[in-house]
Amino acid sequence: MGLVVNGERHELAVEPQTTLLEALRTQLGLTGTKESCGQGECGVCTVLLDGAPVLACLTLALDCEGRHVVTIEGLAPDGTITPVQQAFLDAGAIQCGFCTPGMVLSTTALLRETPHPTPAEIGKALEGNLCRCTGYNKIVDAVQRAAAEDCPGAQAGSDHG
Amino acid sequence: MADGLRYVGRPVPRVDGVEKVTGRARYTVDIELPGTLVGRILRSPHPHARILSVDTSRAARVPGVKAVVTARDTLGLRHGFVETPRYPADQAPLAVDAVRHVGEEIAAVAAVDPYAAEEALGLIRVEYAPLPAVFDPEEAMGPDAPEIHPSHPKVLEPYRNIAGKTATSWGDVARGLDEAYCVRTDRFESHLRTHGYLEPQATLASWEGGKLNVWTSSMGPFLKRAKLARLLGLPLSSVRVQKAYVGGAFGGKIDLFSHEFCAGLLSMKAGRPVRMVASREEVFTAYRHGQPLVVELTTGVKKDGTLLAQRLRVINNCGAYRGSGVVVIFLAWGFAAVPYRLPSLEYEGYAVYTNNPVRAPQRGHGAPQMRFAVESQLDMIAEEIGLDPVEIRLRNARLPGEVLPNGDNVHNCGLMDCIRQSAERTRFQERYGRPQQKAVGSGRFRRGIGIGVSAYFGGSLIYPNSSSVVVKLNDDGSLTLLTGAIDIGQGAETILTQIVAEELNVPLAEIRVVAADTESTPVDIGAWISGGAYVTGNAAREAAGAVRRKLTELASEAMEVGVEDLVVQEKAISVAGSPTRRMTYAELYERSVRTRRGDPIIGEGHWRTMRDQPTHPSLASTKGRWTENYAFSAQVAEVEVDIETGEARLLRAVTAHDCGFPLNPVLVEGQIDGQVSMALGHAFLEEVRMEAGRTLNPSWLEYRMPTIHDMAVSEAIDVITERYEVGRPYRTKEVGEGYVSAILAAIANAIYDAVGVRLHSTPFTPERILRELRDRDGAQP
Repeated sequence: MGLVVNGERHELAVEPQTTLLEALRTQLGLTGTKESCGQGECGVCTVLLDGAPVLACLTLALDCEGRHVVTIEGLAPDGTITPVQQAFLDAGAIQCGFCTPGMVLSTTALLRETPHPTPAEIGKALEGNLCRCTGYNKIVDAVQRAAAEDCPGAQAGSDHG
Repeated sequence: MADGLRYVGRPVPRVDGVEKVTGRARYTVDIELPGTLVGRILRSPHPHARILSVDTSRAARVPGVKAVVTARDTLGLRHGFVETPRYPADQAPLAVDAVRHVGEEIAAVAAVDPYAAEEALGLIRVEYAPLPAVFDPEEAMGPDAPEIHPSHPKVLEPYRNIAGKTATSWGDVARGLDEAYCVRTDRFESHLRTHGYLEPQATLASWEGGKLNVWTSSMGPFLKRAKLARLLGLPLSSVRVQKAYVGGAFGGKIDLFSHEFCAGLLSMKAGRPVRMVASREEVFTAYRHGQPLVVELTTGVKKDGTLLAQRLRVINNCGAYRGSGVVVIFLAWGFAAVPYRLPSLEYEGYAVYTNNPVRAPQRGHGAPQMRFAVESQLDMIAEEIGLDPVEIRLRNARLPGEVLPNGDNVHNCGLMDCIRQSAERTRFQERYGRPQQKAVGSGRFRRGIGIGVSAYFGGSLIYPNSSSVVVKLNDDGSLTLLTGAIDIGQGAETILTQIVAEELNVPLAEIRVVAADTESTPVDIGAWISGGAYVTGNAAREAAGAVRRKLTELASEAMEVGVEDLVVQEKAISVAGSPTRRMTYAELYERSVRTRRGDPIIGEGHWRTMRDQPTHPSLASTKGRWTENYAFSAQVAEVEVDIETGEARLLRAVTAHDCGFPLNPVLVEGQIDGQVSMALGHAFLEEVRMEAGRTLNPSWLEYRMPTIHDMAVSEAIDVITERYEVGRPYRTKEVGEGYVSAILAAIANAIYDAVGVRLHSTPFTPERILRELRDRDGAQP
C-alpha cells in the first residue's frame, strides 16, 4: 500500500489488521505518536489524516491508502516549531509529555477550522485527549495563546495535510 | 520575588520541552534495539490458590519462542518495597508455590512476535488448588480469616494477616479527652484509585557481554538497579539502568515490578533484548493502585477550639504483599498530626494482608485519606462549638520553629499565612455557612465553600539516601550537568539547570543535562520521596559552587586581584567595579588546563537530608526523625451540588502554599493544577471497582479520569518563607505531593456547606450524595 506521511510518500507491506499506529511506529520509526490504551479512549495516538484528527490505534493502515498523514514529527521542519507547539512550551502545558503530541495535533486541527475557539469549542476539540499531569488548565491556556497569535495551525504542517 | 536572580525563581520553559513537543523525546517504548523480542507474562486467574505444577514444555516448543521462565529459573530470592529485619522481603518475582492475588506473575515468555508469545502463554499448563480468599481488611483481621502469609512473628497481635503495625503516642490522651469541652469520634473510609499514568509500565532489557542494560519507566533508576541486581544475582556494576523519558508515574512506578525482573531474566536466557509493555487492561487488573484507609478518629478540644487530644486508628488494606503498606501506616501519624499543635496522641495503624493486588505509593502516600478524616472532623467540631473553620484552624496551626514529638522541626512553617491568605482571597468567612446569601443558592444548584490544610515532607533517608551532581565546564565556557535525577514530568532537569545557571551565570541554553543513567551519572535519591528540589537541588548548587570557586581562584591568580574583589558576569569573571578587566570561562578553562596539571574544571556536589541522623526512623515505633523539611498548604474549594441528581462539581480551588521558594513558578503552578485535578478525580469520578479481587472496570472508558470538561479553576498563592541566594544552602520544600490532600478535605467540607451533607467516605458520588440528602430530608421533613 502507499500513503503520504509528513509529505513523503511511503510504500508499506502491511497485514489487514495492522493499525496506522503500528505502521507509523514500527515500520516508519515515527515514535512521536504514542500508545497508551490501544482502544481509542485516551487520544495520545492522535494524528492528522487528510487534515482531520484521528486515533491511529483505531485506524487500519490499509484505510489510509493514498491519503495524507501528519504526525507530530511532520508539523514543522527540523529545528523549527509551529506556533501551537511554541504556545504549549510558553504556557507550561507540558509535563510528562506523553499526551503532548496528541494534544498538539488536536489543537492544530481545531485552530485550522476555528481560529478563535470559544472555551466550549476547545473543550469539544480536546475532550478525547486525556492528560493526567496538568489538570488541563495550562493546556487550555496554550490553545488560547496560540489562537491569540492569529496564525492558526501549523503552516509547515498544512502543506502536507 | 526573584530579586537579583536571573534564572532561579523565573518561569522559564522546561529544558526538555522542545523534545517533548516535537515528539523527539524517547520513552521506554520508543527505544529500539536490533533483534528485540516481545515479552509476555502469565498471570494468576485466582485470588488465592496453591500452585501444584507449572508445565512450560509445550510453550517452549512454539516456533519463535526464545525463552520461558518460571520461579524455577530464579534464585529463589524475594523482594519488597520495604526490606528490613522486622519486615523482610515477602514477594517472589515469580510465584513459587502459591498465588495470592489475581494477576500475580507465574511465568514469562520471550518470542519473536506477539503472536508466538501469546500462543506460548496459552500453552503453559498450571495446576491450581484454589484456597479461600479474603478481600476486606477488617474481615482479614478476624480469627476465622484464611491466612495469606503467616503473620510476621514480630508483630504480636490478636489479629490475623497483619503485615505490619505502627504504634506511637505522646502526652496524656485520656486526660485530654476527659478535660475536653467537646469530643467527637468518627470513622472515615477511602476508596481505591489508580495512578493514571498515560505511559503504561514498560521495560526494555538487553543482556550483552555480561552486562544487563535496562530502560524502564521508573521513578528511581538507582533503586531499580539495586533491586534488579540482587534478584538476578549480578553485581551492581553488571546492571545499567539508562535514561528514558517517563510518561507519568505518580508513585506507581517505584516498586520493583515482576515485568522488570522478567525482562532481564529472559534477556539473559535468550541472549537478545526483551521488551515488556503492559496493556492498559493489565495495568488496571494486575498492577498496583493506591491505598484505601479506614480511619477511626477521636478528637477532644477546649471550648475555644484548642486541640487537646486525638486517638487515631488506621487500617490499611495492603493487598497480597506488603508493598508500601507498612510505610503508609507509619506516615499516617504525621499526616494526621503535623499541621496542628497536638498535646497528646495515641496512634495505632495496621497494614493488613488481603487477596487483592499489591498496593503502591500514590501521590500523597496516605495524606489525602488522612487529611480528609482530620479536616472533616475538625469542621464538625467547629460547628458544634460555634467556631468558623478558619478560626479553629488558625487557633491550632503550627508556628515557625515548632518541634514535633519525633524531633522534626517545622522550621519556616508558613501555615498561618496559608490559611489567612486562602481565606482572604476567597472571602471565606463572609461566605461560609450563609446559604441564604448565595447567588445560586435557592434552586436546584447549591454552592458551598470549604477549607482544608495539609503538610508534606520534602525528602527523607531511604536508599540511596544521597544525591550527587557533577558540573563540567567545557572549553567553550558552556556546561554539562550530570545528575542521576529522573524527570517524570515534574521538571527535575529544568530546576537543576536553573540552579546551575544561577550559580555560574551561564544561559540555560548553554547547559546540557545528562541524566538518570546509573553508569554515567552520580547517584540520586529518585523522584519518589519529594526531595528533588531540596536534596538534588542543593547538590547541584554545591557542584556549581565548586566550579565557581575554581574559576574565581584562577581569575584571582591571573588578574592578580583578591578573590573577594571578583564578581561573576555572564560566562566570565571580572574585577568588581571595572567590568572590562575580565576573563571569560573559556579563557579560564584554557588557563586551568595549562597551569593546573590539566584540570578541566569539574565541580561535584552532594547532599543528604538530616546529616545528623544515622538512618531512617523506626516504622514500628516512629522513633527517629523523618524529615527536615515540611511544606504546608491551605486549600479552599468552591463546589456546586445539583440536588436533583446528586452530582457535585469543583468550580474553583485556591491553593495557598508554603513551598519555601518557588524555583520555577510555572512548574509549581503545574504541580498544583495537576494535584487539584487528581483530587477532584478522587472526590467525584475515579474508582477502581473490584469484586473478589478482580477489577471490574479495567479501561479508561469505565474508569473515569478527569477530562478537559472536568477542569476546575485553580489559583495558587505563594507564601514565600525562604530566600534563594547564590552560594548559600536553601531550604526550599516540596510541591509534588502535598497539594493533593487538603483540597480533597476542602471539597468534602464545601459539600457540607452547600447542602448540609457530611460524607464519611470517598468518592462523593451522586448516589451517595442523593442518599444522604434523602436521609437528611427524611429525618427532618
